[in-house]
Amino acid sequence: MRKSWLSDYIVKRIIYSIIIAWGILTITFILVRVGPNSPADKYLANIAARGGDPAQVTAAVEARYGLDKPIYVQYFNYMGNLFRGNLGWSFSTSMPVSELIKTHWIYSFQLIFLSSLFAAFLGILIGIYSAVKQYTKTDYAFTFLSFIGISIPNFWLGIMLILIFSVKFGLFKTYYDTTLPLFSLDNLKALVLPVITLGTGMLAGYVRYTRSAMLDNLKKAFVTTARAKGLPERTVIGKHVFRNALLPLVTIIMFDLGSIVFGGAYLTEIIFGIPGLGQISFNAIFANDYPVVVAVTLIGTFMVLLVNLSTDISYTYLDPRIRYG
Amino acid sequence: MVETSGDIVKGVGRCMPNRTRLINYYWQRTRRNKLAIFGLAFIIFLIALAAIGPLFTLDPTEANFEETNIPPVRFTIERSVYNIETDDFTTTKISGTWKHPLGTDSKGRDMLAMIVSGARVSLLVGLIATGIAIILGTIIGVVSAYLGGWVDNALMRFTDVMMTFPFFLLLVLIVFIFGPSLAFIVLAIGLTGWTGIARLIRSESLSLRTREFIVAAKALGASDNRVVFRHLIPNVISLIIIMATLSIPGVILAEAALSFIGLGDPTVPSWGIILESGQHTLDTAWWVAVEPGIMLFLTVLAFNFLGDGLRDAFDPKSNV
Repeated sequence: MRKSWLSDYIVKRIIYSIIIAWGILTITFILVRVGPNSPADKYLANIAARGGDPAQVTAAVEARYGLDKPIYVQYFNYMGNLFRGNLGWSFSTSMPVSELIKTHWIYSFQLIFLSSLFAAFLGILIGIYSAVKQYTKTDYAFTFLSFIGISIPNFWLGIMLILIFSVKFGLFKTYYDTTLPLFSLDNLKALVLPVITLGTGMLAGYVRYTRSAMLDNLKKAFVTTARAKGLPERTVIGKHVFRNALLPLVTIIMFDLGSIVFGGAYLTEIIFGIPGLGQISFNAIFANDYPVVVAVTLIGTFMVLLVNLSTDISYTYLDPRIRYG
Repeated sequence: MVETSGDIVKGVGRCMPNRTRLINYYWQRTRRNKLAIFGLAFIIFLIALAAIGPLFTLDPTEANFEETNIPPVRFTIERSVYNIETDDFTTTKISGTWKHPLGTDSKGRDMLAMIVSGARVSLLVGLIATGIAIILGTIIGVVSAYLGGWVDNALMRFTDVMMTFPFFLLLVLIVFIFGPSLAFIVLAIGLTGWTGIARLIRSESLSLRTREFIVAAKALGASDNRVVFRHLIPNVISLIIIMATLSIPGVILAEAALSFIGLGDPTVPSWGIILESGQHTLDTAWWVAVEPGIMLFLTVLAFNFLGDGLRDAFDPKSNV
């Protein structure tokens, strides 16, 4: 019987995610259509300089993009195109947006992956240590440092790191070298400063969450039981307290991935010149290349949706106590 | 009938605990947290700086190409200047002067004046955008909890959709589409930042709705309006204050980050815009990037300290 409600729950979550996805696409469509820009704008200056008729050009371009059709037809076309994986044409780079994303996503991925790993690993370790040594000088120091880590604007931190380690001491290059092979030591070295830039805020957050989750569980009766059984302190902390503190932590780490990490990665890529999705969106903003900016926002949003869905589903395995109706 | 029942409810209202005594109680609890007091002091200093600072500083927009890249007081830099007569580079030492305590940027503008007027922009953005988000979030949260049914369902699904968008990416898209004027940036941040507040207020209102005092107020014939404004909202106000304090830094950073990637209002010297221009002159004038960043950092830190202190003070479970 257990299996059946589990899969029911998963099916429900998937249907729910599809509804959210539809909402996301619809809101994006409305935003773009309500906006004052027209795809014809970028041709107008050129045409006007040659003495052409702007109205005629606008009409022609809008017909080419299907903007002369009724709004519901445009809506269905937009949905249909996205469904087929057609994200539009990037005129500033002269290639389909999907191609552009295929060549650049790996740079964002490696940055986000390494930063999350760095932040989660170190953050959880420091958090556990801080909780076990509650109210000692080290605990106070870590708590204070985590406040600083949370408050430091990450784009400023990036610039300061460049200023100190690259400009002053010359330890690192000021710009990310795109010719480096992805899986190499040099590439890892080039990512040290970006990972610190993106990871510090997350790290500080995880220290605080781990500490408070550990402290919550340290007070519980089962900890006293475990100690009374004569278990070594290592086992009590590692197996009993930490296991129970892990679940809320997973939620927060997953939530962070959406709310902080994508915005942070966007800025970090721009500061260090890493050619990821943030960088191509940034370049597209200056070129007024609409489809690219829209696509990057949509991809970020859909990643969050997928992460949320997988967190929900993994919960059913992580915590057998949870029952879903 | 309605008139009399209104009077009865008013009488009940008078029995509520003395408001000044309550505020005093929370103040005493907050005051014990030294970091929160440091935060509050810095915020008051910042507000004073933003309000009257521009009266005492130079004109932040006035460029002076004879005094470019002067370092802050007590700092000296070496600058190589190409001399066209001797066809050689001559190195001159340039020291900071009290005329420009924080130095000047590459256009010779006074950094102190720019930082002070930037404080005004950042604070205004932080306060107004947070105000919009709080009002919107409270309305949606209370309406959702109070009406329930399909209204609740529709509003919460909409909130879910808005929450899935990564905040900064959505902001980039909106400001990119509608153009970067300061008023619009503030509006965009306010219109996207309400989701967390709405959820929190909704869940808090839902648990309050079934409590005895609300049921009693309803039984006495209080109108929906009265229940919401007289009983529900006063009970979530502490939550609103904490949320506001903790969201202001995020809003200030969002504006700075937008300016930093070129989606700021170019006519307003916000900290983000100064920081962005400083990034390009790191090797000739490091202070242009350092100074606005320190201000941003301290401001965010101050609001976080204060918000954390308030949360502890308002939480009856914590022993401050």
